[in-house]
Amino acid sequence: MLPRLFTPSIMSTLEQPELKTPAPVPPAPRHRRRRAAVRTPRVRWRRNRLAYALIAPAVVFMVLVHLLPMLGGFYLSFKKLNTFTFSQLWGAPWNGLENYRSILFDSENPLHSGFFEAVGNTIQYTFFTVLGTLGGGLAIAVLLNRPMRGIKVVRTLMLAPWVVPSFVVAVLWGFMWQSDNGIINKILVDYTGLLSERPVWLIGHNTIWAIIIPSIWRGLPFAMLIFLAGLQAIPDELNEAAQIDGAGPWRRFRFITLPLIRPLIAVQLLFGVIYATYQYAIPVVMMGSNPGPDADLMMTLIVRQSFSNNLFGFGAAASTLVMLAMLVWVFVWWAAFRRDMQPQT
Amino acid sequence: MRSRLVIAWAIALFVATALVVAACGGDDKSSSDKAATTAAKKPSGTVTLWIMNNGPQPVPDMEKTLAPFTAKTGIKVKVELVGWDVQFDRIRNAAVSGEGPDVTQAGTTQVPFFAALGGFENLNSRVKDIGGQPAYPEGVWNTTKIAGQDGVFAAPWFTEARAIYYRKDVLEKAGVDPATAFKDWDSFRATLQAIKDKVPTVDGKNIEPFGQPGKKAFDLVHHVMPFVWDAGGAELSDDLKKSTINSPEAQQGVEYFAGLLKDGLMDKSQLERDGTQVESQFKGGKIATWIGGPWTLQSASRTDDKNWVQAARDNVGIAPMPQGPQSQAFTFVGGSNLMMFKSSKNKDAAWELVKFLSQDQVQTDYANLMGMFPARKEAQSKVGEQDDNHKQFFAAIQQGRTYAPIPQWGQIENAYKTRFGNILDSAAGQGKPYSSAVVKSELDAAAKEADTLLAQGG
Repeated sequence: MLPRLFTPSIMSTLEQPELKTPAPVPPAPRHRRRRAAVRTPRVRWRRNRLAYALIAPAVVFMVLVHLLPMLGGFYLSFKKLNTFTFSQLWGAPWNGLENYRSILFDSENPLHSGFFEAVGNTIQYTFFTVLGTLGGGLAIAVLLNRPMRGIKVVRTLMLAPWVVPSFVVAVLWGFMWQSDNGIINKILVDYTGLLSERPVWLIGHNTIWAIIIPSIWRGLPFAMLIFLAGLQAIPDELNEAAQIDGAGPWRRFRFITLPLIRPLIAVQLLFGVIYATYQYAIPVVMMGSNPGPDADLMMTLIVRQSFSNNLFGFGAAASTLVMLAMLVWVFVWWAAFRRDMQPQT
Repeated sequence: MRSRLVIAWAIALFVATALVVAACGGDDKSSSDKAATTAAKKPSGTVTLWIMNNGPQPVPDMEKTLAPFTAKTGIKVKVELVGWDVQFDRIRNAAVSGEGPDVTQAGTTQVPFFAALGGFENLNSRVKDIGGQPAYPEGVWNTTKIAGQDGVFAAPWFTEARAIYYRKDVLEKAGVDPATAFKDWDSFRATLQAIKDKVPTVDGKNIEPFGQPGKKAFDLVHHVMPFVWDAGGAELSDDLKKSTINSPEAQQGVEYFAGLLKDGLMDKSQLERDGTQVESQFKGGKIATWIGGPWTLQSASRTDDKNWVQAARDNVGIAPMPQGPQSQAFTFVGGSNLMMFKSSKNKDAAWELVKFLSQDQVQTDYANLMGMFPARKEAQSKVGEQDDNHKQFFAAIQQGRTYAPIPQWGQIENAYKTRFGNILDSAAGQGKPYSSAVVKSELDAAAKEADTLLAQGG
């Protein structure tokens, strides 16, 4: 039974943690709060027990499938787990902070350089993917946000890449990137003559772009849709009034559109960064379990070292570090955007 | 208010009951199995066999093979397919948890790792039933053990080795005699050069002299190590305590292989593909030579394999791997073995199954279905007599060598694969600029990683 439990415990730390946008609690009106304080806990329990009953299954499930495996993974990150010990699992020798130390500071350990290579690649991947997705999505949304014929058809077509599963995206682009007979090099070299030599995409330094571009391609439609909904909610009067006052398109975008869709940017930034950091399917399907020194991401590294090389201690420690990094990101994000998340009054 | 509460609790109760029932369901089945097997004396009942995707129709082929077994012994066999992509995890988890089938197929190089988990039966006292060591070639038998330990943890099932595939028509056009074309490293290189110079196209379509997959292929190491062995190198020191992949001999072997890429004799765009895709490139007439296993030879006679173009299908030639500077030629020999789980509740019936699958004729027939060689000595040599190409493959098996049978081998192979992949990428002009120093530094890194893994054993 143990390994069954074990596998999801690592996996859960790999998957996206359930990071909910902290919902702002509207300050309760004063008189109600005072009345509630007078009530005894028993009264409150009786009043709310329906609500508790309703959320109970969800809470139990969350604890079972999420919290416990996550704590299990955290615990295992202090264990010496390798080929010879992993079958003991919880009983494996205690390793203290050694897993963390060797990852972070031991330059003699081969896992150390691999880890920092993957950190660098993941940062590059996340930065460009999120930038491309949000920037491109916003640009297309602005272009589509005007009355024109066939807008619904265009919008539907724009959504197509979003419904393609990541796995299929990676297979398709994997073929398109092939240097000898892929469509991309055919366009760049044979049809348009933009380049004189065929670039190689799936090995060497270009690999990181071979995964960033399909990721943007896939994420863009959703971002576009959200931005378009936001743009359409902006009252026409605002733009008209600004136009009468002599504001050009850029100034209207800068001072009306952008501030009004700031909350939408914030939310997508939060999820986009987390989602990109946890990317696994696209590099693995396109380039195999080891995408090479230029495209090895955190998740491909962790999965490979844990599940192919039995270094579950390393995997658990690296997963914990990624999770901590994501928590830091959420705090940074919250500090930057908390005011945008308050209800507009 | 009250009725809503009742509904909510009912839902919660329903979910909880469903969970409990589901959990009990699992237990129920295994306990009834146990009762059934302890009652029987003569091996009977049902055994579960895990197989990987051997050939295009793995499960029907296996069921057909086992029909006479069930008819004769009354033992039913449940054949379950476990894909090669997940088999490592599944077999490992089954061995550790004790919840698995009775018998599983396993790759020959995986046996030491699985055996070291402790979840597999030591077959030492049983293997005399199938002829023991004398019935198998030495290299094949070695894949049933863990280095430095007593015990036999597997029964060899089928064998493969890597050999050179070439196009007879292309060689003819290039004016190269197939008998000497792949004799040694120099003639191999000269052959590729002749194809490059004299046969750039076949039927108006470009053809590259040689193509091999890069790091995307799970078996990259199987295609590089023969050259390391040829040059006198080895994967590990004789006492299996240290990596020797950064020795000058090993480096010479790796540089020979990478040099083919650097000098344009090997098609660099094949590095972007995985093993199956490059195999299709040979079948499709895009590359003139290629290193592969025996199953591709068998597929040339299958009309339902549409990857073959006619010219390639009609002109397949096989040659054993070339001799290196030490006048020795090696190739990787692998295949699959059968392992019995300690947790099996029906070991005698499971052993009957292994015995059946170890019969000469059964092995030969099944190996033929997949385009593999049987693992047994006599059966193997018979298959080798089929025709000229099979004779060449049989010769290749005789040059066969496998990796040190230690539990960490799989991990070390992964480390080597990563570094070999980097070296090939840089020889293809991608990544770091190619030089001897870069090869050396990658091999040093591979050796360092391997040493760390070897140290795990204590």
